[in-house]
Amino acid sequence: MTSKIIVTLVGKDHAGIIAAVCNYFAENDVNILDLSMTTIQDYINMILIVDVEKYKKTFPGLVNDLDQIGEKVKCKVTAQKEEVFNMMHRI
Amino acid sequence: MIDANEIIETNQMVASENLDVRTITMGISLLDCMTPDLDQLCENIYNKITESAKDLVAVGDEIALEIGIPVINKRISVTPIAIVGSSACKKPEDFVKIAETLEKAAQKVGVNFLGGYSALVQKGMSTADRLLIESIPEALAKTEHICSSIALGSTKTGIDMDAVKLMGEIVVKTAKATEDRDSIGCAKLVVFCNPTDDNPFMAGAFHGVTEGDRVINVGVSGPGVVRHALSQIRGENFEVLCETIKKTAFKITRVGQLVAKEASKRLNVPFGIVDLSLAPTPAVGDSIADIICEMGMEYCGAPGTTAALAILNDQVKKGGIMASSYVGGLSGAFIPVTEDSSMAKAAEIGALTLEKLEAMTCVCSVGLDMIAIPGDTSASTISGIIADEMAIGMINQKTTAVRVIPVIGKKAGDEIELGGLLGNAKIMPVNPYDCSAFVNRGGRIPAPVHSFKN
Repeated sequence: MTSKIIVTLVGKDHAGIIAAVCNYFAENDVNILDLSMTTIQDYINMILIVDVEKYKKTFPGLVNDLDQIGEKVKCKVTAQKEEVFNMMHRI
Repeated sequence: MIDANEIIETNQMVASENLDVRTITMGISLLDCMTPDLDQLCENIYNKITESAKDLVAVGDEIALEIGIPVINKRISVTPIAIVGSSACKKPEDFVKIAETLEKAAQKVGVNFLGGYSALVQKGMSTADRLLIESIPEALAKTEHICSSIALGSTKTGIDMDAVKLMGEIVVKTAKATEDRDSIGCAKLVVFCNPTDDNPFMAGAFHGVTEGDRVINVGVSGPGVVRHALSQIRGENFEVLCETIKKTAFKITRVGQLVAKEASKRLNVPFGIVDLSLAPTPAVGDSIADIICEMGMEYCGAPGTTAALAILNDQVKKGGIMASSYVGGLSGAFIPVTEDSSMAKAAEIGALTLEKLEAMTCVCSVGLDMIAIPGDTSASTISGIIADEMAIGMINQKTTAVRVIPVIGKKAGDEIELGGLLGNAKIMPVNPYDCSAFVNRGGRIPAPVHSFKN
């Protein structure tokens, strides 16, 4: 599989959510390729496409770390490899 | 670059429409285990299965985590045991010993079902075939994860009516052997006409003798996704309806193709096929009957249901075939009554009858599936139901099957609880008139003519 990961975050908006996620990526050499964010009423919905080529940990390690960050900022953060979206939406 | 809307659409399918990959099934040939010594045979079988599938469950879970889509079941299918045990087994108890070995192997590798306790008797039964069939009630009562399937007919060979008669009796005996658990043994026993060698779904999975040593087959699912897509186009014409099903089936199947290719690569086992079946579960919304209702029926079983199911089945195939490099198995829509909560509800209120289900099996992917019937239904009546279904498959050149559960001690209208994916339902009434004189004739129904199609 390729090194691109899709990270999605959903939860109630408050200060510091993007910082928490992006700081983690900066500290772990994960490059953010694309970021889109919308807030509807009080809820934040963020999608990041990141490159984990230089990331040192395993994929389950990334999922685990994002779970912990999600708990801290009270949002649901998930990570998925890019292939599933390419397969489903591209011929 | 992937679009945000596409990401949201995929994740919504998982979060609220029950999208999942239903099963990764590893087919394992046991032909090289064969020996006349029963103990040696059991040891060979145990070693071959536990070695071949040692990483199956871990790899399935790993792929599910990475793509964010659940892979619900990890399963194994093996060469029909009537062939594997043909020289070592001299009595039904010998076959039961193989069943217990399979159970041990299934538990060791952590799969939730192992299929292939099977015999292929489309044209006649060998001594070993008969012994295996006679061992089924005890084998299914003594094991938890073993599934049995018997092929009783095909378009090329006709129908072995001696085996049909015997299977009616075996279904009743299996129900009695598991009487204390709502006759659950019958939920793991299916009979087929025109079975497929590469079916990944239970209870009918077995690893055909035309297959290689090991193979990875994947079964997709996603009735909830199709229903949701159809809810967006209410009132539109049939062209729009068909296009919508086709496009949705394409997307679902692509996930199956990805999982199959990855599992094949990581397990170093050749990729066999993706089975395009829409398989319901008792979860709310994960229902074929709900799709039928979304297409315009008040309840599944109302006039028009057979046409709706035919559309669904055909469009799923049309969408799925382009999405996968190899399509196989059963591929279509399943209609298991107890496993589909809305179908069970339709049966309960009388909208869906056994006779309507029989008509639906002419156009769906399999047959009379997971139907609870009264415990006092006679063996000859069950054989009659089986014969009807085999005839539909034989004449129409399609796979048909029967998996009925005569629930001992219960009558029509009583409720049964099978648990898990098998679901629960009320017992359906069966036509009370006798067919024993027909079933008892014995012999074989000749193969049908392959011309003059009307």
